[in-house]
Amino acid sequence: MDNGNKSVVIRNLVKKFGDFTAVDNISFEVAKGEIFGFLGANGAGKTTAMRILCGLSRPSSGEGTVAGYSINREQEKIKRHIGYMSQKFSLYPDLKVFENIELFGGIYGLTDKQIAKKTDDMLKALSMEKARDMFVRDMPLGWKQKLAFSIAMVHDPQIVFLDEPTGGVDPVTRRNFWEMIYKAASDGVTVFVTTHYMDEAEYCDRVSVMVDGRIEAIGSPASLKEQYGASDMDGVFTKIAGRAERE
Amino acid sequence: MGQYKKIQDKTLTAMWKYLLKKEFRQFLRDPGMPRMVMMFPFLIILVFPYAANMEVRNIKLAMVDNDRSDQSSLLMEKCASSGYFEVKSVSASPEEAQRMMDDGRIDAILTIDTGFGKYLEGSGPMQDAMPVGIKVNTVNGTRGNIGSQYLNACISGFVMSEKGMDSAPSSQVEIRESYLYNQFMDYKLFMIPALIVIAITMMCGFLPALNIVSEKEKGTIEQINVTPVSKTAFIVCKMVPYIAVAYFMVFSCLLLAKIVFGYGCAGSIFSIIIFTFAHILVMSSFGLLVSNYSENAQQAMFIIWFFSMVFMLMSGIFTPIESMPEWARAITYANPLTYYADAMRGICLKGSTLADTWFDLVCLLGIGGLTTTWAVLSYHKTN
Repeated sequence: MDNGNKSVVIRNLVKKFGDFTAVDNISFEVAKGEIFGFLGANGAGKTTAMRILCGLSRPSSGEGTVAGYSINREQEKIKRHIGYMSQKFSLYPDLKVFENIELFGGIYGLTDKQIAKKTDDMLKALSMEKARDMFVRDMPLGWKQKLAFSIAMVHDPQIVFLDEPTGGVDPVTRRNFWEMIYKAASDGVTVFVTTHYMDEAEYCDRVSVMVDGRIEAIGSPASLKEQYGASDMDGVFTKIAGRAERE
Repeated sequence: MGQYKKIQDKTLTAMWKYLLKKEFRQFLRDPGMPRMVMMFPFLIILVFPYAANMEVRNIKLAMVDNDRSDQSSLLMEKCASSGYFEVKSVSASPEEAQRMMDDGRIDAILTIDTGFGKYLEGSGPMQDAMPVGIKVNTVNGTRGNIGSQYLNACISGFVMSEKGMDSAPSSQVEIRESYLYNQFMDYKLFMIPALIVIAITMMCGFLPALNIVSEKEKGTIEQINVTPVSKTAFIVCKMVPYIAVAYFMVFSCLLLAKIVFGYGCAGSIFSIIIFTFAHILVMSSFGLLVSNYSENAQQAMFIIWFFSMVFMLMSGIFTPIESMPEWARAITYANPLTYYADAMRGICLKGSTLADTWFDLVCLLGIGGLTTTWAVLSYHKTN
């Protein structure tokens, strides 16, 4: 499997829970530095597929690599080289901002010196210098999510997985958030993002749409719009996801 | 490759430092936890032994005197001054006394019938029945039983001294009791080791289980699962503050008992450390098991509530295992608290050594091995 310039290579991935096939034979590739949108209605199998890519779940069958490591055999190595920010907000609310940075920095093997520098740089970039000693639970949601994204990148991963990162935040913060994503991608980080906001899908380099566990469409937003004769991604999504047979 | 392995090992050890830092920060920042830890030894030594006390005192007594002789009033005085009874009435009629018992205002009635004085004056052996009656409320069996024993002892003591020992035939056997290990039969001394056992069980079994489940609920455990943190590192670091607190509680309780009651531990501190460690192993793996099988705090609470009832009542802590029926005894053999409590009592009261308590230790480690294996197998970072 040649993956010289690929961050993610997936071949014939299947995940079954008993009789239920959550992910039904999907194959795709994501190039380095690409912003890849992973779309699909609720229950289409997005989260299951993403959990496999992050090493949280084992595939029933199929092959693939993430950051050059096998999703079947090298899950712990994958975890060392990816960043992950979940749909459910998951920094420690009872730890202060700098303590959260310290914890995740330490977990990924940064030294105290590196952590101190990272903390300063990160807070400066987020204009949150004053929030250093604030408890995470006291921060507004938008701040929390920007901080969570930065912490997911604390160890300079090759690829970062974002699971509905902008759920519940206001449009201005969402815009800021996407500026951060662009900045990361321009630094060569691959961004793998799921979202329900179709305007956000337009910002992606390429998107895939999952329906009933299968990838029904994949391509750049422009090519998809042309293929499905829709004026925006919202139209594309409605046309494809409308074929869903399962709830 | 060797170089890579080395770097990996280095980051793994460094990781522990940060995980421990996190756990201690969260533990100390918890609104209730540090206060609870400080309060517990005081409760265990200064409050609970008085409450969890099976000594029967203050038995409420009514006395009905139908004899109205000097002897009958002397007997009543003797009973009143024995310290076991709280005399509620001395002049009641039999009907009145019965009504008081029906209402639950008294526990026992002492009836002295006419002829008591004469009976005592009469010489010769006491072949006639003594005209004294005892009625005891046995709704609470233990209390009633012991109450009637006290009354009996009072009366026979009085009769003996009145009639003079000469009236007793020379063949009378004198029984002298000697109490070993807990000379004054102080119930507090017996309960303190067991109360420590309960505290350690709570601290190392149930609290960490709730802690892990709350990480599940908040979703933070998911964030840890996508990092290179191994499950061993995560669990061990989570346990460390609780283990530290468990030892703190054991020793502060023993120290307080020494200061307040003057009870020293008869056995070696080393054996206590060993046994406490074995119990921590059992309880923390049990706690992990609970958290593995519960999705939220409510579920975990239900499981914990169920098991804490069984653990405490089926362990010989409050009631002797020997007097339980066969099937109940079988349950106590599967209960880790049985062995830890038995060993703690032996070490603290009798000065038992590891050689005396090896059986308890083997059983405790056996249960621990079983629960640990099960907990590790059922804990998945990936599925």
